Amino acid sequence: MSGHADEQASGGGPGGGGSGGDRSGGGSGSWFSSGTVGQPSLFERYRIPLGLLVLVVVLRPAVASDVLLGYDAIASKMLIMMLFVAAFNLLFGYTGLLSFGHAMFLGFGLYIPAILVQNGLWVLPAGGNVTFFAGVVLAVAAVAVYSYLLGKLIVGMGEIYFALLTLAFAQALYFIVLRDWWELTGGSNGLSRGTLPDFVEQTRGAISIEAFGLSVDWYWVVGVVFLLGMLALWQLIRSPFGRSAIAVRENEQLARAMGIDTTRYKIWAVTFSGVFSALAGVLLAIQNTGVAIENLNVFTSGDTVLMAVLGGISYFFGPIAGAFTWLFVEDFLTDFELWQFPLSEVTLVTLDLGDVLAYWQFFLGALFVVVVLTAPEEGIWGYVRSIPGWLRDRVGGVTR
Amino acid sequence: MSRSDEAEGEGGGGADRATEDGSAANEPTADDGSDRPAVEPVVPPADAALGVDDLRRTFGEVVAVDGISLGVPEGELRAIIGPNGAGKTTLFNCIMGTLSPTEGGVYLSGTAITDEPEERRPHMGMARSFQSNQLFTDQTVLENIRVVVQTTRQGAFSLDLLRSHYDVGRERAIEIAEAVGLTGDLEAEAKNLPHGEQRRLGIAMALATDPEVLLLDEPTSGMSPSATTQTAELIEEIRDERGLTVVLIEHDMDVVLSISDRITVLDRGSVIATGPPDAVQENQAVQDAYLGGMREEL
Repeated sequence: MSGHADEQASGGGPGGGGSGGDRSGGGSGSWFSSGTVGQPSLFERYRIPLGLLVLVVVLRPAVASDVLLGYDAIASKMLIMMLFVAAFNLLFGYTGLLSFGHAMFLGFGLYIPAILVQNGLWVLPAGGNVTFFAGVVLAVAAVAVYSYLLGKLIVGMGEIYFALLTLAFAQALYFIVLRDWWELTGGSNGLSRGTLPDFVEQTRGAISIEAFGLSVDWYWVVGVVFLLGMLALWQLIRSPFGRSAIAVRENEQLARAMGIDTTRYKIWAVTFSGVFSALAGVLLAIQNTGVAIENLNVFTSGDTVLMAVLGGISYFFGPIAGAFTWLFVEDFLTDFELWQFPLSEVTLVTLDLGDVLAYWQFFLGALFVVVVLTAPEEGIWGYVRSIPGWLRDRVGGVTR
Repeated sequence: MSRSDEAEGEGGGGADRATEDGSAANEPTADDGSDRPAVEPVVPPADAALGVDDLRRTFGEVVAVDGISLGVPEGELRAIIGPNGAGKTTLFNCIMGTLSPTEGGVYLSGTAITDEPEERRPHMGMARSFQSNQLFTDQTVLENIRVVVQTTRQGAFSLDLLRSHYDVGRERAIEIAEAVGLTGDLEAEAKNLPHGEQRRLGIAMALATDPEVLLLDEPTSGMSPSATTQTAELIEEIRDERGLTVVLIEHDMDVVLSISDRITVLDRGSVIATGPPDAVQENQAVQDAYLGGMREEL
């Protein structure tokens, strides 16, 4: 698999997992490779930023097309969740630490700016734009300090304990927010009124951002933040820091014997993951025009793990594929009621599937089981990646 | 950083001392009488390039290492042999800090490093290869070496976030790969390498730490006879070209007898003899404890 180091956290590429049988000889890596050791081609170096850009441009029209959902309100939420799951995967897929409480990091971004905007602080007026940005800065600073200290406390205790302790801390935070001793978080009601800064405009459910006399669609604002966040994550992973983190995941004993301070790399991975998760939280609070405490609970944390695994933790685009599939299936199946065959205009068979498909989690669970059994670590994205190679082999077989 | 500076300073001093020791090692049988296999260290542990002072390590009731003392002069190629369970790998693990000794001390060029954390030791000038193939298996051959080069240059931890890993240590990693004879595809995944090449990669990674003392745990295990010979030659070459002190655990007696300057024989956690190959071979205690048993096994 030449030249895939940038994207891959592990795994042998599309052929490495369950989908290996589809390919013969060659190796799908060869067409990206420039052939010279140590000299990756420009395309090889920057195909991930390119892919992210294409994703942001294409996602909304694709989702809005009749083939998929037919409406686009969910596109911006997809981008937000993709960012969140990618931040989670920096920890899981790249550093090898499974967090079962990732919603707590999201919570910092959800609650802190919203609380500040709602209540104001000293010179900062409630609802003010400056107040909001102060809240964002505060949220990022708070989550950085919190996750660093949390990492320092629990990272050395081994994988299982890391998972359990993140869960425990997330639950503790959840109950603090739920109890709402200082009457800031709204308890079980969450925060709904006055949490948005002045520059957010709502017209008939659609959000736009008013700034400098311009009105920008919310999707594009999310798109830009998404791009910046994902590019930062990408840079983190390709940096020497990221490579050391990968070494820690691959073989901790060896990493230590080779002089890598595995503990500190883990602590900082937790910190970065926390910061980017909080960033997604900031976006999510505006997306939902308020904060629901459900975003902080254990199911959100669990869904995050499932989305990452579903998409493929070995790849940079794995969490993106996972979050997309998850949200798409959820919306698609919840909306789907009548199955008409062969066409809705000329129907021979009509099935009312609404009652069955309301249990969309079941179908998602089934998909999850299939993916994990056939291609753990590779996930859906592993399959997507293997398509070009598979096609090439098939076409090659025909022409020869 | 003060620790490593100190270590380097001491290392310089060690080099001066070692010229005497080294020359002695090169003419081991000049005075046959005085170079009989001995149980005592060749040089005092605290003065050696690598010294172990009365080291003990127990696992519950089991005493794996029972008061071993070693002094390996700079530039020496020392083999450590002994029957299975003699404590060789435990000794290595204690030297490298993977295990902490129950009692006793470890010295690197005169500096006591017993309490240094494991990940600091490669930065002080000692590195190891593992008995079983320990690699970053899903990464490329080149990345396995490169990440070690990077760590050696940047220290045990570095928040180097803004560059690409492509720009850090690739050339050096390629150099090292070539130096150890990894001639195949450097972009292949480490797990897809043949066993012998994997062992070579392990040596390359240890070398990427720029060590002064190199510990190799059974570098030829599982290799074909021809690959074994090649590896033995490689180890000698590394020692000669880089002036390293090499300590090697090895089961292949041909390798041990042909390349080592001195051999230390362990049995049940203790040193029973240290000396030049010929002398050790003739030593009665060694024959009883090890070589005899070895012949029976074969």
